[in-house]
Amino acid sequence: MDVIFKILAIAFLTVIATVIVKPVRSDFALVIALTGGILVLMLVLGYVGQVFSVISDIVSLSGVSSSLYTLLLKIVGVGYLVEFTAGICSDTGNSSLGDKVLLGGKVIILVMALPIVTNILQIIMELLPT
Amino acid sequence: MGIDIIFKIAGIGLVTAIVGQILKQTGKDEIATFATIAGIIIVVFMVLNLISDLFETLQGLFQF
Repeated sequence: MDVIFKILAIAFLTVIATVIVKPVRSDFALVIALTGGILVLMLVLGYVGQVFSVISDIVSLSGVSSSLYTLLLKIVGVGYLVEFTAGICSDTGNSSLGDKVLLGGKVIILVMALPIVTNILQIIMELLPT
Repeated sequence: MGIDIIFKIAGIGLVTAIVGQILKQTGKDEIATFATIAGIIIVVFMVLNLISDLFETLQGLFQF
């Protein structure tokens, strides 16, 4: 698990570089912070992929249809991307734009989750005695 | 790819700031503006490559 030391070092050096550059050029400091965030995410994403492969193995063992799992994965991905983008927006001073991005992500997740809700309702209707 | 891109961006920022200051002191204001814009464009391209890498990885990971 030496990747955690890499992450800590990247965060530290990003902060130091940002502090050095900020009084000279504040716009470059924002870009440096963004780059540091992207590097940390890239380091972590490989491990997230391992976790997802284990979870998909468990799901295939449990007999739940894999389309549901893929949908769940997509929803998690949308949430992740939206959170990242909203964080960048509010870091660069556009926090109202970040709020709108969050709202858009919530609406998209709701739209993606609606088929599951209708599935559940159909199952309940089948269970009900006619 | 790694931590060196952060130092590259910081270095470009510092160098463009210094060059811009020198050009401004010598009275070449428009060239100073061009130097600043060039630095910003270089940095934005570097970060755009990183962002596209990240989004491609995420797309593969979350099976979009």
